[in-house]
Amino acid sequence: MIATAMSNGAKADAKPAAEHDIKITGRDVRVFYGDKEALHGVDVDLRDREVTSLIGPSGCGKSTYLRCLNRMNDTIAGCRVTGSLMLDGKDIYDKSIDVVQLRARVGMVFQKPNPFPKSIYENVAYGPRIHGIASSKADFDAIVENSLRKAGLWNEAKDRLDQPGTGLSGGQQQRLCIARAIAVSPEVILMDEPCSALDPIATATIEELIDELRENFAIVIVTHSMQQAARVSQKTAFFHLGNLVEFGETRQIFTNPVDTRTQAYITGRIG
Amino acid sequence: MANQHLVKSFDEELRVLDARISEMGGLAEAQLAQALQALRERDTALSEAVIAADVRVDALEHDVQDQVLQMLALRQPMAVDLRQILSAIKIAGHLERVADYAKNTAKRTIVLARTPIPTRGVGGIERVGRLAQGSLKDALDAFAQRDLARARAVWARDEEIDDAYNGVFRELLTYMIEDPRTITACTHLMFIAKNIERIGDHVTNVVELVGFRVTGTTFGDDRPKSQGAMYRPQ
Repeated sequence: MIATAMSNGAKADAKPAAEHDIKITGRDVRVFYGDKEALHGVDVDLRDREVTSLIGPSGCGKSTYLRCLNRMNDTIAGCRVTGSLMLDGKDIYDKSIDVVQLRARVGMVFQKPNPFPKSIYENVAYGPRIHGIASSKADFDAIVENSLRKAGLWNEAKDRLDQPGTGLSGGQQQRLCIARAIAVSPEVILMDEPCSALDPIATATIEELIDELRENFAIVIVTHSMQQAARVSQKTAFFHLGNLVEFGETRQIFTNPVDTRTQAYITGRIG
Repeated sequence: MANQHLVKSFDEELRVLDARISEMGGLAEAQLAQALQALRERDTALSEAVIAADVRVDALEHDVQDQVLQMLALRQPMAVDLRQILSAIKIAGHLERVADYAKNTAKRTIVLARTPIPTRGVGGIERVGRLAQGSLKDALDAFAQRDLARARAVWARDEEIDDAYNGVFRELLTYMIEDPRTITACTHLMFIAKNIERIGDHVTNVVELVGFRVTGTTFGDDRPKSQGAMYRPQ
């Protein structure tokens, strides 16, 4: 079959998308900065245990959309979100929602690794502590080890847990930030260009990690690297000028996109 | 959609790739025409020219392979570009086989030049040859113009070539039964007819790849096929 020659590897085939439940349902999501509408009515279903990549040129609205998913836009003055975003059927923007709790359920990893100026141990234990997830030393130890293991950092960090997180290499710092996000047992992890400050080896490590994390979390990743989107995600959403132009199976988007704008963007043509 | 890439050298490479395929196609077409002419005129010199010219087609196929390897590694093509590059390497392989069958026909023509042959048998082969030539020409035009309708038309009519070949098969069989002294010559002719019929199959694959390049999908498997026209003992 030539048409499906480009595959995302065996793992992508292991669990057909239809088997996973929808984690986040977005309908007619619009974002305004003051009077200006930056995102024009986006409809996307994000599935559990699946990686969805958001791609598009700078200013297309992909990061804006990502930040809607854990209400990071609330922190921007003059920013307003309309439409509906449901996490497991509950409105993320409902007044009764505790934003701090929401962000524990929908964790985030940023472009530049940003460990706290604390020890590696405290970086991971901080979230569980403020959320009251653990109380005894043994519980914290278990969470720290487990999170660092899941983030693929345990072997490198286990003998230096009391040393500052900022002393790690860039790639290690990013994995520490992922461990920190995992430590509060989130359901969704948002990643905003998590590899753009990393070298190719550290990038490959993070990509492998994303593939492993997919077994437990829904992951949404904004990336400027189309190869990265092609490598790590099962679904891809292409944004352009604040519109969601095309959303579908990654393998289809990168081999045979439907919309000419998607085609122009991913093949590097003048759009 | 604008057809130009932001990186202009990528456009140039894709253009060169298409040009190489077209050149291969032109050579394969000429090789087939000359092989059929040599058969018709029992022309050993022309047959030898066909055999000698095959290296040019082989060399072009290597060029296409090298270029595809480079482009996959260096450009990381996506979508329509990826499909063009993937289909190019496969089309080049099919055109190389077309030229190979022309060469094989020429080789057998040289052997036949020393043997008396039933002229009527050659007539049937000429008909298969004309059909294959027509399909090859249309396939190359469909490739050059990315003409989906023409590609599909070529794809749908491979049956005619198969039928013509089956006709030649039965005819040659009759000659051999009538006069066993023609068995050697007729066997060579049988192989030649089969070679040309195989060219039709490769041409069918070429137009399928043209369709894949343009649409990202295959034509499906509803192509008309002739029903059991092969020789069956009564």
